[in-house]
Amino acid sequence: MAWQDYVHDMQRCTRCSYCKWIPYRYMQDTDFIQGCPSISRYLWHAYAGSGKFNMAYSLLQNRIEIDDTFLDVLYRCQLDGSCDISCKVQQDIEPLQLMQELRIKCVEEGHFIPAHTVAINYLRREDNMMQSRRADRGKWAEGLGVKNLTSEGCAAVYHAGCRYSFDKELWSVARAGLELLLEAGVDIGIMGAEESCCGGRAYELGYTAEMTKFAVHQVETFRTAGVKTLVTPCSDCYACFKVLYDKIGLKFDIEVLHITQYLDRLIKEGKLRLSRKVPLTITYHDPCHLGRLGEPWVHWQGMEYKVMGQMIVHDPPKKFRRGAGGVYEPPRNILRSIPGLNFIEMYRIKEYAWCCGAGGGVIDAYPDFAAWTGNERLKEAKAVGAEAIISACPWCKRNFLDAAAAGSNNDIEVYDIIELVRRAL
Amino acid sequence: MKLSNEEYKALEEIVGPEYISQEPVIMDTYNQVWGNKFFFDEKHSIRPAAVLLPANTAEIARAIKVCNRYGLLFKAFSSGFEYLSLSLMNSKGILFDLRRMDRILEIDIKNMHAVIEPYVSVYRLQLEAAKYGLYSGRIGVGYSAGVIAAECCHHGCQHSMVFTSGYGRNVLGVEWVLPTGEVLNLGSGESGSDLFSADGPGFSLRGILRGRTGANGGHGVITKASVKLYPWYGPAKWRQTKQPGEPPSAGQLDKVPDGYKVYVPTFPNLDKTLEASEDLCRAEILYAFGIGIIATNPFTEGNDEEWALVQSYMKNPDPERGAIPYSVVCVIGHQSEREMKYKEKCVLAITAKYCGRFTKAHNEPRALARAFADILWSNGVNLRATGDFLPSSSSPDGSPAMLKKLALQEAEIKKRYEQTGAFLALGTTGRMVSWRPEEHLSIGAQGISTAQYDPYDPASLEAARQFINELFDPRGAFSRYGVPSRGGCLQIEPVTHVHQNWGRMYDNYDIWLRKLKKILDPNTVSDWTAYIPPEYPDYAKDDDYVLPSYGKGEEF
Repeated sequence: MAWQDYVHDMQRCTRCSYCKWIPYRYMQDTDFIQGCPSISRYLWHAYAGSGKFNMAYSLLQNRIEIDDTFLDVLYRCQLDGSCDISCKVQQDIEPLQLMQELRIKCVEEGHFIPAHTVAINYLRREDNMMQSRRADRGKWAEGLGVKNLTSEGCAAVYHAGCRYSFDKELWSVARAGLELLLEAGVDIGIMGAEESCCGGRAYELGYTAEMTKFAVHQVETFRTAGVKTLVTPCSDCYACFKVLYDKIGLKFDIEVLHITQYLDRLIKEGKLRLSRKVPLTITYHDPCHLGRLGEPWVHWQGMEYKVMGQMIVHDPPKKFRRGAGGVYEPPRNILRSIPGLNFIEMYRIKEYAWCCGAGGGVIDAYPDFAAWTGNERLKEAKAVGAEAIISACPWCKRNFLDAAAAGSNNDIEVYDIIELVRRAL
Repeated sequence: MKLSNEEYKALEEIVGPEYISQEPVIMDTYNQVWGNKFFFDEKHSIRPAAVLLPANTAEIARAIKVCNRYGLLFKAFSSGFEYLSLSLMNSKGILFDLRRMDRILEIDIKNMHAVIEPYVSVYRLQLEAAKYGLYSGRIGVGYSAGVIAAECCHHGCQHSMVFTSGYGRNVLGVEWVLPTGEVLNLGSGESGSDLFSADGPGFSLRGILRGRTGANGGHGVITKASVKLYPWYGPAKWRQTKQPGEPPSAGQLDKVPDGYKVYVPTFPNLDKTLEASEDLCRAEILYAFGIGIIATNPFTEGNDEEWALVQSYMKNPDPERGAIPYSVVCVIGHQSEREMKYKEKCVLAITAKYCGRFTKAHNEPRALARAFADILWSNGVNLRATGDFLPSSSSPDGSPAMLKKLALQEAEIKKRYEQTGAFLALGTTGRMVSWRPEEHLSIGAQGISTAQYDPYDPASLEAARQFINELFDPRGAFSRYGVPSRGGCLQIEPVTHVHQNWGRMYDNYDIWLRKLKKILDPNTVSDWTAYIPPEYPDYAKDDDYVLPSYGKGEEF
């Protein structure tokens, strides 16, 4: 649906402000009840999900135009979907989809964020969002002796993603993830230098054609390679492969798994035995793209009609994505299987989790906002008594590391879940 | 209309450049709220010239002095979930978004009150107060609503007021920035003591503070208030979680917390229901009281799921569920076993006296836990079904007998509109009266009848306007009620409509209110669209719901 097709949603936003908070039923500690980083940081109502409905409706009525303020408000947002989940507790409307469509409109009409333009230019030239050379993509796996799908066949492919491929500080995590799978006997390979971006981040910035291009390429590549399963340690890539490709009609006909799902399976099958104690008090941060944004896409085409006089319903009935179908238990199962680990939940978890701050292009264009958001999460982790915050996405880890370095929360350790599993073996 | 450079600079100097905006993109998110279509025929009301995010009382006071100097209208709001909060008379007006003033300044356990700033939401205060065994009461419109907005500024009612009384009676003291920019402390705060007074803000100033149906920012800004707290018998902390078999987004309690019990008696007919309700309320045993519909249905996640549920009921009619209109929810709280036994005995005896029974569907543990959470913590106003609703409050502070007559009439009128398809029709055969007794009925009760309509369906919208006009019968032309109605409230009637029609029927209160407006606001800078104008404009008509001065005349 194009942005203007959400006119009923724009009209039906009541300004209840629920989009600003996690749903009250899940509020526990009053220091941690906000849901949306954007409104929490920038305060003006426009920055909330409701504000986007208002902006769109004004735009539709030619009361405002797309100017620098419009772009600033639209893009100082991680598109983390928190507002969407909270809104849908009370309403049958789609704030996240509208925001996505507004970004697409901006790009189509030539309204760009300079930092994103740079990243997209690299993507077009070098097939990655990290402003790095394509030729360097496979370096993270050098020396592992893993199969390369371009020359050898295997059952599964390990897609590292742009962040893991080019962020040297995180290479050890990407390698450890692959090693775990290999040690468990999984027949898995990589694409090496031939791996390319999933396109998900570009899509979130509004560049739909870019994602479509990569989606076509990936679908074809994996079909040709004959793999049955795609495993990725990156939550962004997972959501893109699993959800966004399906959304645009290019659903994979292979199994798409986040590495936590695969590791959970291997642990349950006894192929990975976690026997070494990891004496650490930790908490788990649900990456947005693995959690609420990782919920499978629900296709719907139909019409609204009314019953009981004026109640608005759909034909066929519309199943709204409310976040509960994300990947929440596999990472928790893994953490619970690690001996010695003291796992404490934060106050905002699963589909109500606070974002790490990196998403939606914020880390590229507004690093101060990304760091602020990350620090808010680190505060929460410390508030529940954790010594370390564990995530399952390189973007989260990168942003938490940067936030900790930039802020006052540098006394908490930051790990990816892969690192803990590695330590426990 | 934009502010002049001089005006903008004067305000910017007070709050700082980061906390003032006049960008159209930002401003147009401060004038779109439910109810606007009903009143203005547009989703947009007037776009403010600027919005400020003040940090404290001093900044507000200084900014208001600037408004007086330049003749700028102003209005303050907290969450902004009412057209009343955001509407302005003209575009040379500014809004104070008070979200930076969000501190709970004090919870006085001994004296059972809290001192709070305007952006403290009700659920936040409930969570904090519970740690100390205290409870702040419910706010009808939802958990993100500001406590100060509800208790000091707006009009409304809710289910815990049988115990906690109406909003306005919970205010013990306020810090009030008057329309002149002077700061007034009411309650014992005026003598330099803490913000506590046993009977409201000073010498019966409740009426001045709240006006006829809330002053709604029409006479300055309440920047701090002391509000009553009540005993909380539940746990200091609780968790609502996903329950097996329930939709995942609706976290719930697994049971009614220790310290409380919930009963849902069902009576044979409406008369018996109302008589029993009166006895239950007067027995001074209830912590909260509501209509049975709160306890009956499992939560549904969306309209489609709701419709599926309704269809399943239609296919398999359940007599127990059919008894919804004659069921009420009674919450009792207790500190001791003895107290609990006494209260239970009362509930059971009154139920028996009026031939009531306890149906399984309404009294199974999960249904009771659902009812408890909704009735005490507020599920909020759900506009999902149709997009909008009319919370017709038929009789603020009325007697039970009067309320009953009004509510029954109201139900008949509403039924007619439902039969035309203009409103949501729940399909219940019985007439349901939702009433909110105050202080164990010692000061009456409020009744509420919600009509749900679609503001973007022209026929439904027009019917909604006709419905309100007919419902309140302001000129008494129909002599419909047999008793005087006290009119509606600003959520459903335009401000002039309320005062011009009802003032002369009730001691000419509106004359006094207008005098107060003039005294408090000599330069008419505090926006009166949701309070009272110093002089009436000449356009008020019984059926004039599209206010010609509001939200119009601006081209972009």
